[in-house]
Amino acid sequence: MSYHLLVTMGITFVLVCADAFAGGLEPMKAVPIPAQNAQTVEKIELGKKLFFDRRLSGDGTMSCSTCHDPEKGFSDDLAISLSYPTTRNWRNSPTLINVGFQKFLFHDGRAKTLEEQALFPMMSAFEMNQNLDFVEEEIRSVPEYVEDFRKVFGAEVTRERIAMALAAFQRTLVSVNSPLDRFLRGDKKALSTEAMKGYVIFTGKGKCAECHDGVILADNKFYAFNVPENAEQEKDPRVGATRRFVAKVSNYEDYRNLAEDPGRYLVTKDKKDWKAFRTPSLREIAKTGPYMHNGIFATLDEVIDFIDKGGGKGNTALKPLGLNDTEKKHLKAFLVEALTGEDIIFRYPKVP
Amino acid sequence: MAAGPTVKKIMDTYKGKVRLVVKNYPYIYRDYSHIAAEASLAAQDQGKYWEMHDLLLKQSPKLDRESLLKYAQELGLDIKKFTESIDGKKHAAEIERDKKLAVDIDLYNTPTFFINGRKVVGERPFEYFKKIIDSELGASR
Repeated sequence: MSYHLLVTMGITFVLVCADAFAGGLEPMKAVPIPAQNAQTVEKIELGKKLFFDRRLSGDGTMSCSTCHDPEKGFSDDLAISLSYPTTRNWRNSPTLINVGFQKFLFHDGRAKTLEEQALFPMMSAFEMNQNLDFVEEEIRSVPEYVEDFRKVFGAEVTRERIAMALAAFQRTLVSVNSPLDRFLRGDKKALSTEAMKGYVIFTGKGKCAECHDGVILADNKFYAFNVPENAEQEKDPRVGATRRFVAKVSNYEDYRNLAEDPGRYLVTKDKKDWKAFRTPSLREIAKTGPYMHNGIFATLDEVIDFIDKGGGKGNTALKPLGLNDTEKKHLKAFLVEALTGEDIIFRYPKVP
Repeated sequence: MAAGPTVKKIMDTYKGKVRLVVKNYPYIYRDYSHIAAEASLAAQDQGKYWEMHDLLLKQSPKLDRESLLKYAQELGLDIKKFTESIDGKKHAAEIERDKKLAVDIDLYNTPTFFINGRKVVGERPFEYFKKIIDSELGASR
């Protein structure tokens, strides 16, 4: 009996692995919508207004769109994200395109839903630096918003409902008709010859699809590649203040002596998560550089070289791949051509 | 980490090809931001705008009146003229005009650059500007 069980488990295991190894890339599908925050046209429109509203920051200079600019791939084109005036951020601004598919938000995955995520940057001293009790009253003092919240929620303004509207808007930001989607749906001519060769490397020798799989080409897991620190920004004492602040509020005991970004460790306090970061989606990657949690790599060539060499010093997550220059070129062609959808047609809201 | 050194590198690299127009946008929630803007323009009147600009960034947030007078002395400015200028808010109208311009074009973040109308928010490496400037210079040929 136990022998049979073992055999069955063995087969199951092999099957699961084989499926994961084959890539398991999936074409775009509908964004999952949580039952407790149904999408409505009015809610999405309200979320869009709030997304561009500078009232959400303490001094009225920052809105969500400052660091997630529609014209910059819903990121900000910077290695290190923009920050609240007089402060400095310490991580790269991730794109919001396809964010509705992510099971973890932020590079360290400290939020599990967009509703939970939305309030963090608002409160963060080095991002929007707003007080949530206060922002509720600021939004409540705008008649158009009071009416919007009544229509959308049948209730008054609260921070939770602000977050729900923002989440609803962000779930509308999805890739449209990328060559990869056409290819996965059966159009064998959707990829150029180079991109097709890159696809073969991506799902084969390059082992990329072992982690970059599913709809958004990300496995919702965390890995420590030991990405180099951004030496230039480390010189800025304001970045040090941000690092120590985040560590302090994450109950990291030795926060005063922390000299690097511990990544996921600050969330789990599990040694295996030291310097681990969430696998990012690769969709729209050509529009969303610089790359890695600290924007250390300006180009995809640098990222491919880094991964090909087996990642940063001392990491155990990656092994050298030994790709030659042609293979790297093809891989890049796949990333740039196949994963870039049509431009997202975007209508800016009129912020009340 | 301020944008000044990058801007200077741009001006050196593209001598004669790029014109720089600086607008003041003193941060509303900083006590000394307005008087610091006055100080930079008072220094400009005496031909030392960039010297004062660099010193202000280096010494920030120590930008109270007494400190500004000390910096003016360090730069060898005519202290009487400088003092009269900042105390009399000689450049207030110019600063207010710049602030109004910023609000009119829905601009809130400093530094923000416009390169032939192309908007760039935040400090960027030289190479970032180079790409845009080269493309603009190419387009104007």
